Amino acid sequence: MKTDKLILIFMSCMLIFTFSISNDNNTTQVEITKEMEQKYPIKAHHSQIGLSCFDCHENQGNDPFKFKNIGDKGCISCHGDKKRVAKRLQYMDMLKANPHNSVHDGPTLYCDECHYEHKKSTNMCLECHEHEVPRWMGVTP
Amino acid sequence: MKKRIIFLIFVIGGVFGLVASLGVYYGLELTSDERFCVVCHEMDPMVIAYNDDVHSGKGKTGVRARCVDCHLPHDNIINYIYAKARNGVVEGYIHFFEDVENINWHENRARRKDFVFDDGCLHCHTNVFDNALLTDKAKKMHAHYKKLLNTKDEIGCASCHVEVGHMGLNNMLNYWDPKYPIYEDKAYEKKEELRRNYFKDSYVPSVKKSSKKDTNSSDENSSK
Repeated sequence: MKTDKLILIFMSCMLIFTFSISNDNNTTQVEITKEMEQKYPIKAHHSQIGLSCFDCHENQGNDPFKFKNIGDKGCISCHGDKKRVAKRLQYMDMLKANPHNSVHDGPTLYCDECHYEHKKSTNMCLECHEHEVPRWMGVTP
Repeated sequence: MKKRIIFLIFVIGGVFGLVASLGVYYGLELTSDERFCVVCHEMDPMVIAYNDDVHSGKGKTGVRARCVDCHLPHDNIINYIYAKARNGVVEGYIHFFEDVENINWHENRARRKDFVFDDGCLHCHTNVFDNALLTDKAKKMHAHYKKLLNTKDEIGCASCHVEVGHMGLNNMLNYWDPKYPIYEDKAYEKKEELRRNYFKDSYVPSVKKSSKKDTNSSDENSSK
């Protein structure tokens, strides 16, 4: 009987320990529903590396419907600063057509002038260079 | 008499074994850096970008990673030698018998995860999971990597570090294989300038690629 009690206490301790570990690893315990996925789809290149809502919307609570735009600071936390992004497309400078270092704005544009995460991106250059842009660059990711 | 023969077999066997292992060791050593690989392996844009990267020894520490450190598996010696031998044969065949002027570098680069071996990266970057100097975002993403290990969603170092080891690779590949025909002439000039600087006396001009204007521009327009 005494052994049974001891085993019970031991098992309970183990259970509490396991839960405490899993809580440490994943502090945000919100299930991402199909509805959320459809309303706020994640771009292929982000979902391919297993990112979920909470990787961008850090410290924004547990209600995905109340999440706010992460702004340039959020994008830059992974993608490096704007000059670095411009440098990765430096080959486009051969024709002064680098969208991240254009003759008009240099590396100063807000990311969400063109790039959106949850809807189709736009290409601001197209507003004036309607015919040339398809010859310079592809679809805005 | 019998004991002597056994002793001799051991000694001769030992000497043979030693010579053979030394041969294998030096063989592997001498064929592991970019000067050897570039002879047959079509990798001009990669090797030129590598020479601009901190992994080529340009950093403060001067530590230099060789091609094989990242691009061959390090889990066991048999896999390592097999992958090295297979790459040698395949790359040699491509160099001598295939249309090397028209390699689709961009398509190949999209599969970067397949030819970057994380055990190679982690062999040097041993503290990526507990380095206190990393930014919070980096710590979080490395924990994310660790969490996905051995699952169907597993990612590799190169999944996020898209130009690792080859600074400016995206630009370099666009000089070699411009995604848009409008860049072709200038890209060719830039490519030859880079090759001239890298190969110096052994520089041989490359054949200018035929224009892909017809196919590409129609693709672009239809995708818009």
